[in-house]
Amino acid sequence: MKSIVRAFVVVLALTGAVASTHASSSSVQAKVSAAKVSAIPTPWCPPDDPNACGIDQ
Amino acid sequence: MSAHAFINLLGYLEPIFCAFVLTALIRSESVRKFPSLTLLLSVRLISSVACLALIDLSGRAIEKHLAYKLYFNTYWWSYAIEALLSLAVVYSIFKLAMAPLKGLATLGVLVFQWAAAISIAGSVGMAIGTHFTGLKFLIAVVTQLQQTSSILTLCLLLFVCFAIRPMGLTYKSRIFGVSLGLGLMATVSLIDSAWLGHSPQLFSTINVAKGVTACLTLFLWSAYFALPEPKRRIIVLPTTSPFLRWNQISMALGDDPGFVAVGGIPPEVFAPAEIEIMRRASMKMAEPEHEEMGLVSQSA
Repeated sequence: MKSIVRAFVVVLALTGAVASTHASSSSVQAKVSAAKVSAIPTPWCPPDDPNACGIDQ
Repeated sequence: MSAHAFINLLGYLEPIFCAFVLTALIRSESVRKFPSLTLLLSVRLISSVACLALIDLSGRAIEKHLAYKLYFNTYWWSYAIEALLSLAVVYSIFKLAMAPLKGLATLGVLVFQWAAAISIAGSVGMAIGTHFTGLKFLIAVVTQLQQTSSILTLCLLLFVCFAIRPMGLTYKSRIFGVSLGLGLMATVSLIDSAWLGHSPQLFSTINVAKGVTACLTLFLWSAYFALPEPKRRIIVLPTTSPFLRWNQISMALGDDPGFVAVGGIPPEVFAPAEIEIMRRASMKMAEPEHEEMGLVSQSA
């Protein structure tokens, strides 16, 4: 049990570390580089988007 | 069930789970112990309900452009508050975990405060570098802050997991449960950050992963707070334990030093009683010498 929990935590930390290196390289292209951890859609478009970012779809 | 319908379902499940955790927190009388977590969950619940209501009402009760503008503001302002509160949660969890080791807790809190201050300063600095203004600047600050906060959270999780025995905790402790949930969210947040460079859309596949993680974390927390927490164990450490040594060293750090008067002391600074004690003490110190000298002269 102890080993499983520890292995899971290490995997989480390693995944986070790898993702953070990718995030820092991709954030150069993307203007927004993080969003809420939630199923609620992230509003990427500017607030005055003519299509309202497809909110009603 | 399509991916879009599944995302919608997760979106509706999230505030329900959030309400469950809050109820469990209140019922287990843990609000005082975890005030920042309670605040974080409250903000999340309110913002989720408001965002879902705006999505549902857009194009019907509210004109879609106005609905999107409101949605945009609600989402990013609540995200900013949540980013700051998640830092506060990490800080409070660290303090709670380290409570039995006072010396290390003081040292750790000091290090944490510096790390958090540098993170905030770094986030603001990087956002200034983008030359954004207004709401875009806020978004840039918050996204940077969230990334550094995620890294700090993963560090905390690793620490709590590997130093669980010297802190008298078990894997059933709420401190570990909260750390694990935060760690899950932090990892997915970092993966999401890497993903966003490739596919920034309102409804995206990554939303499924984020929704599942959010619901899983909230479910995990509600289980931890609904079930009774095992009492903290008596901490028994070997005398050679580095935790014990470092705790002793840290406790000694920062103590006020004692002072020794070396010279130039006028007699007025002493109380008459102190002068009397010193006079008698010096007389007593001189007596054995006299006696010894007397003995020597008698024997001679």
